[in-house]
Amino acid sequence: MGCHGECKEDEKGAALKKIALIGNPNVGKSVIFGLLTGKYVTVSNYPGTTVEVSSGNVNIGGTRLLLVDTPGVNSLLPMSEDERVTRDILLSDRPSLVVQVGDSKNLKRTLVITAQLAEMGLPVVLTLNMEDEARDRGITVDKEGLSRELGIHVAGTVAPERKGIKELGQAILETPKKPALSVDYGPVLEEYASKIAGLLPKSGISRRSVSLMVLAGDESLKRWLKANMDDASIAALDAFREECVQKLGKSAGLVINEARLKKASQLVSVFMKKAPEEENRLMNFIAKISTHPVWGIPVLFAVLYGIYEFVGVFGAGVMVNFMEKVIFGQYLNPMFTAVIDKLIPVPIIQELLIGKYGVITMALTYSIAIVLPITATFFIAFAILEDSGYLPRLAVMSNRIFNVMGLSGKAVLPMVLGLGCGTMAVMTTRILESRRDRLIATFLLALAIPCSAQLGVILGMLASLSGRAMIIWVLTVLLILVAGGWLAARVLPGKRSEFFLEIPPFRRPQPSNVILKTMSRSVWYLKEAVPLFILGTLILFALDKLSLLVLIEKACRPVVVGLLGLPQQTTEAFIIGFLRRDYGAAGLFAMFQKGLMTPAQALVSLVTITVFIPCLASFFIIIKERGMKTAISMIAIITPLAIVIGAALNWFLSWSGFRV
Amino acid sequence: MEENTPEKVCKPRVAPEAEKTQFEDEALEGLWELIEKNGENKVSPGLLNEEMGEPQASDLMAESGLITVTDGKVAFTESGRVRARDIIRRHRLAERLFADVLDLNNYEQDACRFEHAISSEVEEAICTLLGHPPTCPHGRPIPRGNCCRLYTRKITPLVSALSDSGVGGEFKVVFLRTPMIDRLASIGLVTGSTIKLLQKRPSYVLKIDETTIAIDEDVAKGIFVKENEGQKD
Repeated sequence: MGCHGECKEDEKGAALKKIALIGNPNVGKSVIFGLLTGKYVTVSNYPGTTVEVSSGNVNIGGTRLLLVDTPGVNSLLPMSEDERVTRDILLSDRPSLVVQVGDSKNLKRTLVITAQLAEMGLPVVLTLNMEDEARDRGITVDKEGLSRELGIHVAGTVAPERKGIKELGQAILETPKKPALSVDYGPVLEEYASKIAGLLPKSGISRRSVSLMVLAGDESLKRWLKANMDDASIAALDAFREECVQKLGKSAGLVINEARLKKASQLVSVFMKKAPEEENRLMNFIAKISTHPVWGIPVLFAVLYGIYEFVGVFGAGVMVNFMEKVIFGQYLNPMFTAVIDKLIPVPIIQELLIGKYGVITMALTYSIAIVLPITATFFIAFAILEDSGYLPRLAVMSNRIFNVMGLSGKAVLPMVLGLGCGTMAVMTTRILESRRDRLIATFLLALAIPCSAQLGVILGMLASLSGRAMIIWVLTVLLILVAGGWLAARVLPGKRSEFFLEIPPFRRPQPSNVILKTMSRSVWYLKEAVPLFILGTLILFALDKLSLLVLIEKACRPVVVGLLGLPQQTTEAFIIGFLRRDYGAAGLFAMFQKGLMTPAQALVSLVTITVFIPCLASFFIIIKERGMKTAISMIAIITPLAIVIGAALNWFLSWSGFRV
Repeated sequence: MEENTPEKVCKPRVAPEAEKTQFEDEALEGLWELIEKNGENKVSPGLLNEEMGEPQASDLMAESGLITVTDGKVAFTESGRVRARDIIRRHRLAERLFADVLDLNNYEQDACRFEHAISSEVEEAICTLLGHPPTCPHGRPIPRGNCCRLYTRKITPLVSALSDSGVGGEFKVVFLRTPMIDRLASIGLVTGSTIKLLQKRPSYVLKIDETTIAIDEDVAKGIFVKENEGQKD
């Protein structure tokens, strides 16, 4: 999950020197960003954690600079949307220095990026991060030698331990130096690269590098070319490219890539030594069984059970009980009631604050006493999963199921993130390769992936129902997801992308990062959710005062009571569900606690609210990422579908006489 | 395997004086095929002349000392037989290479040019790459070479798709035929890379240097590899 709307540029940012953090995916750019700027951006152990750009101020020895964190790239010839973002920063933003973060144990891939930065003519400071992991694997890099060879500063860091960060800061202040690393692409490519360079306008990077992108057939460059060149010149570029490919007889992109890899390999053979590795047996064992075709399944169930115990039983049970009954029930609510009674003798305002639809008694109680403990415990469990490196392994396990849904296993990342927060998950669909994949994934997220708050509330309710209720809920939701994806894949034109995902090493989650991440997400939750909870409460209060609530409940009666077989009062939960699904779920939770629903009704209401329209915040993100038309079509499909599914379940339960 | 005999296409397109060697090669090849077809080690000169479309073919070949004419029938001399075997072997290996590895349909003309163009070193390398195949795509035998005799015990082809390779093995990438080629290259997986196959189910997981990636079976089918000798564990 990214930076939750806090990534706006510093207002004075434009005046400061800009420094871009660039590197392969999952090498620790965001950790280094956090250490240099003191600003937390989400750090996890899987490629693609950062999908958008964050920037922050750095103060090194009195010099203020603007540091930009970017999504990871394997090549500056972008192959997905997040990679394009990074390339565009270099192309258009003219950073005065690039801090390249590399993985010490993967020097070859690091140097392939360095070669491209050198080609662009950008000054670089290289830091080889994760030196500890390289050491464990018996890998040593001659940093001094490499520094002399490339003519740039080569630092070494172990970011989570802050090792080498100070030295890196000092290196940033030195006179910027461009790396001396040039790759020869052979006579044909070199000839056409210089021909094309002659036609190109000036940009943040060298003309040679842009011409190589053109030769490699980089589609994502089209937009930039159109904005900066006239049509005739673009046509001339295309003609040159055609000619070059004809002469070359094979893919220019591949020839370019191979030449870079060859050059990088030469350097690696000189500057890297590999001794036999010390195996970390426990980590290797966990890594191995987590993707084992047989043992991987019990591992998955163990993980799910662990989450259920921690979030459903401990978070939604013990913690909510404590917050709701003790903190709010015995202390806060009576205290507020007493104070407000005395201080504000106006009945309507009293009611607005502490009445049935009161800001304190409803909005704050729901958000802080019911939802917060659940989300916080979920965020902890989730952070541990993210940091261990289990999520990409889950993709290995579930690739085939995702194939049925018209997606590749890679889509498990946004889907699982959706269990944290739908808005962030929709943004993470950027890591998927095709527009079609992003559309299906967004649809499924909006359709039936409950966010952490909602999931926690649901788990809490299901935990107090029965194991069978839990199984029915899980099966129904899975069925909806698979069927929804299967149908969407049939309706949408195109073919699914083939599965390709980098699997990071298994790592022991760091308590400090787990805590920091949970804190930052909880703060974000409060900032984003509480105002909407208050808004929802105010709407209910107003509707109630104007006697409209009764009318609406009456109007919805045929659907809510007739089709779904739920108590009329649940209409309220669905109304506020339009604002936030978790608020709706919390309303159901409160009703269930008061004994206003039978177990079967509880189950139907939970399934319905799970499928119900995504919350306002995700709706806005869907508009931003996929466009207004798509967003509205999704709502138009999903809302009636939720009712149909709820009604079907209700009918099934009463028809079969199934005891929940 | 197709059993039908292909049309004889390796005919000389130039006068025999101008490209004597090539003419000889074609005639040797023609004679080899006639002998193979008739099941006897000698044939009438008229047949060979007809095959070559050159009334004097038999006489010209006899002058070069590649064939002998006895009792009105032509047969190979020892040097002629050795040379004919090599040509046939190169031609049929080329057919296998074009048909199996490059997946081409119309390869006959190219096989004909190829047979004259390669050295015995390349011939052995191709034979090894293909796993010392016993027959050409039309089902006719490929004469054994030295390399085949050395590897008589090895029956599995040396180059296979990753999807047909064993888990735990270490492989060298021979060539790639997948739309994912650029993505694979971006993490360093190109022709010549060494990869280790960690698992095949539920998805393929492989390791290249210190990078681990997961891919579909479809992608694995497009990665052709050769097992690294003595590295299997």
